[in-house]
Amino acid sequence: MNQLLPVAGKPALDPITVEVIGSALSSITEEMGETLVRASYSTNIKERRDCSTALFNHNGDTLCQAEHIPMHLGSFIGILPHILKRHPAAEMRPGDVFIGNDAYEGGGTHLPDFVLAEPVFVDGEIVAWAVNTAHHADFADRGHAHIYQEGLRIPPIRLYRAGVLQHDVQELILLNCQVPRERLSDLRAQMAANRLGVQRMTALCAKYGRDTVLAAGDALLDYAERKMRAGIAAIPDGTYRFADMFDNPETDESMPVSCAITVAGESMHLEFDAPDQVRAGLNMVYTALLSTVYYAVKTVVDPTVLPNAGLARPLSVAARQGSILNCSHPAAVNGRIAACQRVVDLIHGALAPVVPERVTAASNGAVASATFVGERPDDGSIWVYLETIGGGSGARAGKDGLDGVHVHMTNTSNLPAEALELEYPLTLLRYELVDGSGGAGTHRGGMGLRRVYRAEAPCRVRIDSSRLLSAPWGLAGGLPGGSSAFVYGPGVQPFDHGSGKLEPGQVIEIVTPGAGGYGPPGGRDPEAIRRDLAEKRIDPGTAARVYSFTTH
Amino acid sequence: MAWRVGVDSGGTFTDVCLFDDASGRVEVWKVSSTPDDPSRGIAQGVEEGVGGIGARVADVGYFGHGTTVGTNALIQHRGARTGLITTAGFRDLLEIGRQKRPDLYDLQADKPPVLVARDLRLEVPERVLFDGRIETALDEQAVREAARALREAGVQAVAVCFLYGFVRPEHEAAARRIVAEECPDAFACASHGVAPEFREYERLSTVVVNAYLGPVMQRYIRRLAERLASLGLAVPPHLTQSNGGVIGFEQAGRMPVRTVLSGPSTGVIAAQEVGRMAGIGNLITFDMGGTSTDVALLQDGVCRLASEAVVHGYPIKAPMLDIHTVGAGGGSIAYVDSGGLLKVGPRSAGAYPGPVCYGNGNEEPTVTDANVVLQTLNPTHLLGGRMPVDQALAKRAIGRLAERLGMELMATAQGILAVVTANMARAIRVISVQRGHDPRDYTLAAFGGAGPLHAARLARELDIGRILVPRYPGILCAMGLLLTDLRADFASTRLVTLGHAALEEMSGAFAELTRQAEEWFEAEHIGPAAQRLTRNVDMRYAGQNYEIAVPVPEGPVGPATLDALAEGFARAHERLYGFVAEGEPVQLVTFRVEAAGLVRKAAFRKLAERGADAAAAIVGSREVWLAEAGGFVACPVYDRTRLEAGNRIAGPAIVEQMDATTVVPPGMTARVDTYANLILEAA
Repeated sequence: MNQLLPVAGKPALDPITVEVIGSALSSITEEMGETLVRASYSTNIKERRDCSTALFNHNGDTLCQAEHIPMHLGSFIGILPHILKRHPAAEMRPGDVFIGNDAYEGGGTHLPDFVLAEPVFVDGEIVAWAVNTAHHADFADRGHAHIYQEGLRIPPIRLYRAGVLQHDVQELILLNCQVPRERLSDLRAQMAANRLGVQRMTALCAKYGRDTVLAAGDALLDYAERKMRAGIAAIPDGTYRFADMFDNPETDESMPVSCAITVAGESMHLEFDAPDQVRAGLNMVYTALLSTVYYAVKTVVDPTVLPNAGLARPLSVAARQGSILNCSHPAAVNGRIAACQRVVDLIHGALAPVVPERVTAASNGAVASATFVGERPDDGSIWVYLETIGGGSGARAGKDGLDGVHVHMTNTSNLPAEALELEYPLTLLRYELVDGSGGAGTHRGGMGLRRVYRAEAPCRVRIDSSRLLSAPWGLAGGLPGGSSAFVYGPGVQPFDHGSGKLEPGQVIEIVTPGAGGYGPPGGRDPEAIRRDLAEKRIDPGTAARVYSFTTH
Repeated sequence: MAWRVGVDSGGTFTDVCLFDDASGRVEVWKVSSTPDDPSRGIAQGVEEGVGGIGARVADVGYFGHGTTVGTNALIQHRGARTGLITTAGFRDLLEIGRQKRPDLYDLQADKPPVLVARDLRLEVPERVLFDGRIETALDEQAVREAARALREAGVQAVAVCFLYGFVRPEHEAAARRIVAEECPDAFACASHGVAPEFREYERLSTVVVNAYLGPVMQRYIRRLAERLASLGLAVPPHLTQSNGGVIGFEQAGRMPVRTVLSGPSTGVIAAQEVGRMAGIGNLITFDMGGTSTDVALLQDGVCRLASEAVVHGYPIKAPMLDIHTVGAGGGSIAYVDSGGLLKVGPRSAGAYPGPVCYGNGNEEPTVTDANVVLQTLNPTHLLGGRMPVDQALAKRAIGRLAERLGMELMATAQGILAVVTANMARAIRVISVQRGHDPRDYTLAAFGGAGPLHAARLARELDIGRILVPRYPGILCAMGLLLTDLRADFASTRLVTLGHAALEEMSGAFAELTRQAEEWFEAEHIGPAAQRLTRNVDMRYAGQNYEIAVPVPEGPVGPATLDALAEGFARAHERLYGFVAEGEPVQLVTFRVEAAGLVRKAAFRKLAERGADAAAAIVGSREVWLAEAGGFVACPVYDRTRLEAGNRIAGPAIVEQMDATTVVPPGMTARVDTYANLILEAA
């Protein structure tokens, strides 16, 4: 608590008050998240929790983001500046709710993430904003040559005006969605989450006084900044580089991506290079790059830094405008998260020589996904099911990587088979770890996942992954992990750049990448090798060849 | 048959509380626990406790028990070697879980160890579909082979979990039967019997935890029942569940997963009752024992009840009170870590050999040793004289630690308490601050053998202004067992849409559940006057995943019931989420009947005020090392049993009683309220 002493020039607050208000803000965002999940209808939100909630101060700085999906920070960074650019604050009223999703004008990072933002008024003034974003599993089976193909672009506009629903706006949005009933219900859940955030924030201000809450918010930003600076200062000054290849089913080639990180005292500059943006959905806008960098640097520098705007202050980030890592209108962005995963790996790879104990070998480097779209025979309505599948997490300096988890920029749950099959004409045949996919090393990389679906009705399918053409690298002598793969069942026409269709009874299998090992395989504890063998995580051939281990 | 007996068996002490229904007399007894076989200590405690009041065990009319056997096995990963038989293609689900990583930003974090090793998770061909159709019939021969393989691998328990086991249990039932044939000595359970609910991973995790704890719990219960019977106990003993209600031993042995919070939940129930009498609804409970500490928050007298929680890293679908546990208590060992910092716990000296000062051969200093050196605890004896302690031994052990740290002896002893207090404060922040509650709005209810000793320091750390120390803090959990109604929950999941067509289904479900409840009343000998039934329906909009419990009005189920449910659901949804989705179909998901058998509770008498002067209770004085003074200060020592309502004690002072020691620090005053609670507040 000593780190929270009052700072000169600001109202003196006792550290307990600051801590209590900070924790109250966290608990408000967590509670908003629970409300969103519980009131929602679509499996992507109610089961997979592909949504995030946050509170912002009146300046648009993130006060607190709930621990949901790091990627969504990108939407949160962008939305308020775009709202304030279009709508004078003086004209806002309590009960106004803004909706937006556009990557260039709406503050989003891809169109399925609908952001809802509602100002919190105290004594007639905006003191904060309650904001949430939810990934609506819609805009499916679309093109990705440019953003106009990817779905409806929504700039920040009022969905509610002084508490009154703007039916015209809602109808326009719903008509452009393939599953309007789910969209409507999920939007209501998003509304419920923000309403709770506004109530709780108002109550917090009533209890402690508006100025105290605002001052505590500022103190928390300063606190995050101080911790971040202290963490960066502990890394030796210098410029550190790393390069990797990025592949994606939408394009036929591997693209070189690289970074140069310069640590100078208490600040860090990150510069990225990548090829020109492409006519495919894998490009990312600058806010997506920023949220990726904030996430990655926090994991290396100090995972305990509060996730607020203060942590960004010591960082500067650059990437060539018009490249896939900082794309310009009208580049398509739907699948940006795969490239974001690679950016995190780049940052860990670059810093590995100076903070070897705080980075991991390459994680699975993908967000393998499958989107199924079909029509319900009874009423012709469209169903859309989106699943993202975890994989290996990179081995660490002192221990193995985690098997079969979501890494870095995402952290969604899987959809239970029992929920999946109840809602969609699909059957899950297998869901398991991929034997042999963890990169060998003193510490083994995490294992990838295999998920096998059988269609029970005709449907169009889009599959996405990365590390199809490369493997997650190891560190310090560790070997690479297994690559990703798509396996088509009998009779299935191989997909064209990730898109295809399944007839009833046909099967598709998605194999996600494992992760890289850490340290030379020769250093592995024989007991761990024996255990891996008994559990068939590795085969006897690998044990003999890679680890020089034989059973007697 | 007048005496009611509650026994709480913790890691360090076993507490026995006796209550005479006729006279309202309360007696307490405390013995050392016997962790290798806790039933031994319990039997000893019951025999001595009952004997000590001149009664016979055969005269005991009710026996209630709270245990940490299950939770300790789960924390220390000392459950049975367990095998799993599951649907082909899904053996790794136990490890994958919901595919989320354990911490969003800390990449060094690990998942909790998986309770069944991969080579003991065996797949068998079988597949039920979502609507209950069987796509692939169970390959019984494959089950038999799997069961044999598990037997040969030496498993003591087998869990069976198939997809849709809750919809169509035949496959699981058949597999469980085959397992019983092939592994007659193993504990076997199937998911439909333990948590017949939707979502395969959470159901799987629950049934695996149940299997993992099964042999441990059954062995324990069997021994205990035998010992109690041989002492002459004539009534069926009961055990507390995680929800605060009690069940019979046999059911507890089959469903150990429902008792993982057995011990701590009784403390919360007891604190709730003590708070109610004292007129304090907002309480943070601080139950510090020898091995671990449990904290919970009661807002307006109510502790949140969760239907599913993650316990020590494992999802469990069972009703339980919202309790947070820390692996540190009076017996926790203090040591210097590799980085040269002083750490306390989670290793504990336990009941035996116990702290260094017990003289049983332990040489590593504990929190208790620090208190003995500082003389906040009596330096010559504990437990009202029954437990002699050797302060010189404690000094030598802490002296060795001090040498390694390059610090003074007393500063080291003091440092041990500072570290342990910070651990406790962090735990309380989790249940208060992190959930939006300001601890300053709450009273700290301090109990457990070590709670009152550390409460004042902890309150200061959290800026809590008031502390409540109940009359019998060291045995409050045991007392809670005498304040708990018998409780059983009956549920039936049947997905129907709210409407007239649902009436038949609903009355059928409630008729069946009520029948089960009546059987239970009969089995528990609960007379009509003590019977309470409440009915609820879990409801949601079709398409939602989470239900809201809506109460069913009393009386027969009819069209008016439907209207009441529709109205109740709409109001609850509006309150929780701020909207009503007019015209959307509403589903009735789970019908629930909660049966309670009201017991006569230990009724504490209100005492007459006898004035502020507490001098008559002073039994001596001792030098106590106080951080505030930075040295020894002479403190009066009060005998708790001699204090009377209205008495006031100015700090610094020590209040001793058989089961606990309360420190009243400088600047605070303790007053005795009319229920003999000590209330500490700033002077």
